[in-house]
Amino acid sequence: MQDKQFMRETVTEAAHAFRAGRLDRRSFLALCGMAGVALPSVLAGKAEAAAGEIVMWNWGGQSEECHGSAIGVPFTAETGMPLKFDTSGPLQGKIKEMVDSGNVTADVCDADLFDAVALGATGHLEPIDYAVVSKDKTLPQYALEFGTSIILYGYAFMYDTEAYPDGAPANWADFFDLEKFPGQRSLYKWANGSLEAALMADGVAKDALYPLDLDRALAKITAIKDSTIYWGSGSEAHDMLVNGEVSMGMVWQNRGRNIEQETNGRYKMVMDGAIAMPGAYIVPKGNPGGREAVMKFIAVSQSVDAQLGLFSCLGMTPTNPEAVAMISAEDAPYAITSEANMAVIALNDPTWWGQNTDAAVNAFLEAIS
Amino acid sequence: MTRSSRLNPAWLLVAPLLLLVLVMFGGPLVNILWLSLTDPEPGLGNYAALIEKDSLRKLIWTTLRVCLITTVLSVILGYSIAYAMANVAEATRHRMMLFILISFWISVLVRTFSWIMLLGRNGLLNNGLIEAGLISQPIPFVRNEVGVLIGMVHYMIPYAVLPILAAMQGIDRRVLQASRNLGARPAQTFWRVYLPLTKPGIIAGALLVFILSLGFYVTPAILGGGKVLMVAEYISVQILVTLKWGTAAMLAVVMLASVLALLYILSRFMKLSAALGGGRT
Repeated sequence: MQDKQFMRETVTEAAHAFRAGRLDRRSFLALCGMAGVALPSVLAGKAEAAAGEIVMWNWGGQSEECHGSAIGVPFTAETGMPLKFDTSGPLQGKIKEMVDSGNVTADVCDADLFDAVALGATGHLEPIDYAVVSKDKTLPQYALEFGTSIILYGYAFMYDTEAYPDGAPANWADFFDLEKFPGQRSLYKWANGSLEAALMADGVAKDALYPLDLDRALAKITAIKDSTIYWGSGSEAHDMLVNGEVSMGMVWQNRGRNIEQETNGRYKMVMDGAIAMPGAYIVPKGNPGGREAVMKFIAVSQSVDAQLGLFSCLGMTPTNPEAVAMISAEDAPYAITSEANMAVIALNDPTWWGQNTDAAVNAFLEAIS
Repeated sequence: MTRSSRLNPAWLLVAPLLLLVLVMFGGPLVNILWLSLTDPEPGLGNYAALIEKDSLRKLIWTTLRVCLITTVLSVILGYSIAYAMANVAEATRHRMMLFILISFWISVLVRTFSWIMLLGRNGLLNNGLIEAGLISQPIPFVRNEVGVLIGMVHYMIPYAVLPILAAMQGIDRRVLQASRNLGARPAQTFWRVYLPLTKPGIIAGALLVFILSLGFYVTPAILGGGKVLMVAEYISVQILVTLKWGTAAMLAVVMLASVLALLYILSRFMKLSAALGGGRT
């Protein structure tokens, strides 16, 4: 494994030199040959390109387009490096597997900040270089050693206005109250957000949630289990609502506005008790593009224009306070950390989740299954 | 030379492939076994958890229960379909086969979402029943264990039909005539002659359905509404989200071992090659 790492670094270095013109093509190929890089991969430009591009590992769909236009374009203009995508979804297990296998093909992962806590502790990530990336362009508690939050998404719930004509549910306590608001519910099935929602419904203050009281949260969740179904993806959450399977459902907050517009306001989002989730850019250890280039990429993604671009394209809220300040009054209700929302939302604690995901998720799965 | 002449030369042709399978498949498999014994710490801790932890016992029980019910229902329904197919004119049989194969080829995701459209709270069936005044509240057909069973049985029926049909088509019709001739009633002929003759097909179909069901992921995950947790989805969560690779590897090993054990037990009672469509004896 060590040898492999050394060989890859050699080739990457050589590729840098080759690009800069310090090394001729023949020597570069010879070096690749000695390091055991198969000729086809060199011909395909793999090792060569490694030094001159950034590969972003994200979730595909719309996000590829949005990351490309909001961050890729200014990044390429500034550095000359193209931004490429791997859209297979950087779940924690996949990042760990990639780094352990010694075949790292992604430079930056569009992941969660709790992934930075978990994988940073096990040595799977490059630390963030805060000489290049700015701590002032994110929330102070979300600039961590192995990851920095670029955008915020979150969990909120939406309700069917036709199901509750005599008074709308206003917070998580109403969501968990089947007597006052009968009907089916939906929650996220991998625990995150659902646990916080249950605790707030049970009367825990939004800034006193952590460390999460699992037993208390699960008791609340199992109490409405017979009327709850659980989703695993944002589109499933969306479908459960608009297909009429549930009359109140948790959704990803950044998708709420689309659902409201798409249904002409029949479904409404409740921001009281919404849980803001720090989405973070994290760098797998030994990324092919090198640490310097990827830190520059993260710095570009902190810029006001890039962040506002992501907000209008994906609905995800900027972390850069300067960008948040520029959001119009019309858009502000949908920015999870707007001044008005800040008073009612809860902020996710990535450190607690980074250290307790396994226990929380498995306890949750056991409780709902 | 004498040794190689005893060896069937066909083995030489498949040798490279066998080697490839051994390296590309056997290697990772050993790796999984190793992982189950070493992560997070060396020992049998992961396997002990199977007995100690209620959550894992519940998981295994749910998986077995769903797979067994799926197998029984698929084989019964598959048997009826195959019986009809074996007893109609050839042109009709071909048309029926086409429908079986079409359903065989439709992606599992498409089927799963179609069931939600048809059977969901706001689906075609529930809306129809409410309109007709037969029910006042929608019936929960999906997003629960019933939904999982509907989706899985629907997916598995072709796997049951094909081997059973093959067995039925192999039956010499004169045996049935002989049975009638000797005075057996139609029901007696079926239970005592026809059914035993189709047993290899039933066992092959049941085996195929059960083994495939064990690894089902998409259908339980979606139609179960998150409340029917089966081994495949649990393994995926342990690998991708909670990073409990040792637990995931242990469950994978247990699943593989159960399938192999199942095949072994069955091989004691019957010739597996016959059931799985190999050489006839």
